[in-house]
Amino acid sequence: MDGLKENKEEYHMAKKIRYMKGMGIEKIASTQEDHVVERNQGIEHYKDIVFQCGKCGTCRTVFQDVNWARVCPSGEFGKFEAYYLGGKNLLAWALTSGKLKWTENLAKIFYKCSVCLACTQQCQIPELHNYAGEWLMAMRESAVENGFGPMPEHKQYTQYVEDLHNPYGEKHENRRDWLPKDINQNSESTLAYFVGCTASYREKDIALSTVNILNSLNIEFRVLENESCYGSPVYMTGQSNKAKAIAESNVDEFKAANIEKVITSCAGCYRALKEVYPKKFGIKHGIEIVHLPEFISKKLKEGSLQFKKDIDMKVTYHDPCHIGRHMGMYKEPRTVLENIPGLELVEMDRNKHNAWCCGSGGGVRSAFKDLAEFSARERIDEAIDTKAMAIVSSCPFCLNQLKTNIKDEEIRAYDISQLIEKAI
Amino acid sequence: MINSEIINELENVVGENYISDEPEMQYLYHYDFITAEPEGICDVVIMPDTAEEVQKIIKIANLHKIPVVPWVSGINFGATANPIKGGIVMDLRRLNRIIDVNEDDMYALIEGGTTWADLQGYLQKHHPNLRAGVTWSPPGTGVVASCLCYGMFDLGMLGGTGAEFINGLEAVLGSGELVKVGSCCLSDCWYGRQPLPDLAGLFIGWEGSTGVVTKAAVKLWPKLPFIKHYLALAPTMDIGVPVTLKLSKIGLGICDIVIQNYGWLQSSLGANEKKVPIDPIEKKLPDFAAFITTQAYTEKQHEAQCEAIDMVLKEGKLVEAPGVNADDYIDIKPIQLWGCWNFSRGGGGQWIGSYCSTRDIATYYNLARDVALKHGHAPQFYSRILFGGHYCVARTNINFNKNDPKEIESARQVLKEIHEEVQSLDGVVMYKAPEWAHQVYKDKTLPATSELIQKIKKLLDPNNIMNPGHGWVKGE
Repeated sequence: MDGLKENKEEYHMAKKIRYMKGMGIEKIASTQEDHVVERNQGIEHYKDIVFQCGKCGTCRTVFQDVNWARVCPSGEFGKFEAYYLGGKNLLAWALTSGKLKWTENLAKIFYKCSVCLACTQQCQIPELHNYAGEWLMAMRESAVENGFGPMPEHKQYTQYVEDLHNPYGEKHENRRDWLPKDINQNSESTLAYFVGCTASYREKDIALSTVNILNSLNIEFRVLENESCYGSPVYMTGQSNKAKAIAESNVDEFKAANIEKVITSCAGCYRALKEVYPKKFGIKHGIEIVHLPEFISKKLKEGSLQFKKDIDMKVTYHDPCHIGRHMGMYKEPRTVLENIPGLELVEMDRNKHNAWCCGSGGGVRSAFKDLAEFSARERIDEAIDTKAMAIVSSCPFCLNQLKTNIKDEEIRAYDISQLIEKAI
Repeated sequence: MINSEIINELENVVGENYISDEPEMQYLYHYDFITAEPEGICDVVIMPDTAEEVQKIIKIANLHKIPVVPWVSGINFGATANPIKGGIVMDLRRLNRIIDVNEDDMYALIEGGTTWADLQGYLQKHHPNLRAGVTWSPPGTGVVASCLCYGMFDLGMLGGTGAEFINGLEAVLGSGELVKVGSCCLSDCWYGRQPLPDLAGLFIGWEGSTGVVTKAAVKLWPKLPFIKHYLALAPTMDIGVPVTLKLSKIGLGICDIVIQNYGWLQSSLGANEKKVPIDPIEKKLPDFAAFITTQAYTEKQHEAQCEAIDMVLKEGKLVEAPGVNADDYIDIKPIQLWGCWNFSRGGGGQWIGSYCSTRDIATYYNLARDVALKHGHAPQFYSRILFGGHYCVARTNINFNKNDPKEIESARQVLKEIHEEVQSLDGVVMYKAPEWAHQVYKDKTLPATSELIQKIKKLLDPNNIMNPGHGWVKGE
C-alpha cells in the first residue's frame, strides 16, 4: 500500500484541484497533505478516523472515470450498505464507540470482502482514501481476538498450513513434485525462486514456466527444499499472530540458506514477503524481493532480454489486487506483455487501480463461494467484452480462480510466466 | 412492533437476501451519519426490486400501521430520511435501472433508486451527446430523490430546480396504489407534465411522505461544443452578487452561476479549516467567488458571449482568478463533498439551505456570517442562481465533529439561530427542512393552505405511514 502512498498520481483530487495563487487566496495546506495515517495498527488506533465517513457511496463506483463503473464485489453481491466500505467504516465506528458489539453477523460482514481495496481508491476523504484497508484488516484482527473470527473454512486451512505448510491439505513432501530433474539449479545460489503453494500444488505450469525462464536466462537460482506457505492466507483472515510465527519461520529458513534475493511468481507471496513481513510484523529480513514481471521488465529495459518468438494473440491483463492496489505495480506486467512480438494487449474498462477483483482473495473463495463466483464471472465477462482470446494475470490464485469459473472455453486464461516462457 | 410474522410476510415479497433486521443492518439505516438531527430507529430494512414489490410492502405496512421510510443513499443535509418513528426503511438501490433514453425529447426514464453515478455513467457510455444536470452531491446519491427534494444542478440557469427537470412520475401511494402522472399516464411518452392537471406536485417537496416514486423521467440537455468556465473574485458579497445577478438576467449562453464565499470555496478545495482564517474579510481576503459557465454551438457565438461576460465582469470590478483553470474545479461533478465533511475534521455537516429572492443573497449571507462568527465557525456560504435569474438557492453550512455530543449540540444551536435570523427576510424557505423548520412555515402560512396540504396527505397516505415525522404533515 505504501506504493500508492508514494504515488501522488493516485490522488485524483490532488491532481485535479489546483490552489489559487494571487488575489489573496494563497496555497493552503490541503487536508491530504496534513493527514497521513499510520498503517498496520489495531482498530483502536483508527477509532477517531472511521467516522469521517458519511457513507456517501463514492466508494461504490470508479470516481470520475470509466463511466462510473461499479468497483466493489462485496457490495454488489451483498447489496446492503454494510457490504460497501461506507457501511464497514461506520460499523467499525459503532464497534469502537461501544454502540455495537462483536457478533457472528458482524464478523461475517467483514469477512465477506476480498480486501481488494478498490473502494479505497475511489473515496476522496483524505484519511480514508488509500488507508481504509488498514481498518478492514484491523477489524478482522479484532474479530479473531474476540473469538468471532476467522470463519470455519479459514480455521481449517490455517490448520493445514500449520501441519502441512500449505493451505490445500496437500502433503508437504509432494511440494516439489512439479520440479523436473533436468532444471538447472545451483544449491549454493543466494537467489531463491519462491514458488508458493498455489503454483506448487494447483497451477504447476506457472512454476514450471518460471524455472524454464530462469534457465533460459542463465540465472543461477534454487528452489528451497523446505519451502513453506508464506502465511498470507492466514494474515489476510486476521490471524496476525499465527501469520507472524509463519513469517519468522520462513525468514529463518531463508537466512539459514543464505538467501539474499527472492524471485516469486505469486502476487500474494510477493506482497507478504516485501510488505507484510517488514511493515506489519517488523521482520527486517533485508532480502530483496522481486516479482517475476518486475524482474523481466527490468531485463527488457536494460536490453539484456529481447523476446524472440511471436505470440499471435490478443490478450487482456487482469491486475491482481496484491501487486496492483496493494503494491502499486501496474506498469511492469504491461511492459512485459507489450514487448512480446505479435501479442496485442487490450485493456478491460476497469483496469489498474480500478480493476475489478477476481474474488478469490481475503479468504473469500474458501468461505464465501457464491461471492467468489459472482466476482469471477463479472471479471470474465468484462474480459470477453474486450474480444481478447485470453485473460492474463500474474498471480496463481487469480489464474486458478478465473480458470475455475470460465465456462465452455469462452476465453482462455494464462499466467504471465507462461507467455514469457513461450516468447523467450 | 414488527414481529417475526410480519418479517416473514415481507420476506415473501423480496426474498431472504433482501431483507434484514440484524442489529448491524439496523444500525446503518438508523440515521444519516451526517447531520446534527436526532437519530431514528430502523426496525427492518428491505430492498424491493420492482414497483409491484413496493406496492406489496406498503400494503403490508398499511395493514400493520408500520412506518415506511423511502431511502436511496439516506444522506442529505436536512436529515429527511432519518426513520425517526421507526419501522421499515425501504432501500431503493435495486431500483436503479435506466429504462430508456429518448434522444428526440431529451429525457431519461429512470427508476427511483438510480444514482448520479448510474445516470452519468450510462449517458457517458451510450449517449455521449447528451448530458444530465449534475449535482454537487456525491455520486452515490439518488437522482430522483434529489429532483423531488428541490436539489439543484449545474444546468440550473437553464432548467431551474431538479423538480423542474421532472417530466413525469410513476409512484406507489401511501395507500399502496400505483399511479402515473404527466404525459406518461396516457402513453409511453414521458415528454412532460402538460396538459392534464399537474399531479407531480403530489410527490415533489413532500420528502417521501406521500408515497414512493418508482420511476421518473428527467430532462437531459445537449452537449454543446464550446464551453467556458469562469472563476471571478471580488472582495465582498455586496460587490460581487449584483454583477452575477446582472449576468444571470441577460442570457449569454450561461447555464450555471454558483456563488461561494471564501469559507465554502476553501472547504470545497479541500483546505484545512485550521489553516484558513475564520474571517476572511478581516484578513482582506476576497470573500466572494463566482463560478460561471457559458456554452455555445458555434465558435463565433461563443466568442461573442465570452466578450460580453468579460465586459460585465470588468464593469463590476470582478477579476478572474489568475493562473486558475476553472475547468479543473467545475468538471469534477458529481463530487464527494469531502470539503464539507472534512473541513472541520469530524464528518458532521448540516445546512440552512433555502430558496429565496435573488435580491436577498448578500443580506442572507451577511446575517448567516454574523451568527457563524459569533459561535467561532468559519462562515460557509453558497448560492446558485436559477432559471435565468428568476430565483435562487442560498445556503450556509455548519461543520462539526459527529463523534462529539457537545459539538453536535452547538451545531444545532447555530443552525437554529441562523434560521431565525434569515427568517427576517421575506420569502426565505428551507428545502429538505427538518421538522423544527417546517413548524415555522406552518405558523406563517394561511390556515387553509396548511389544511389543504393535510387533506392531500390524508388522501394519499390514509394511515400516516409514509416517512412520519418528516414533511409538512408531521404524522405520528
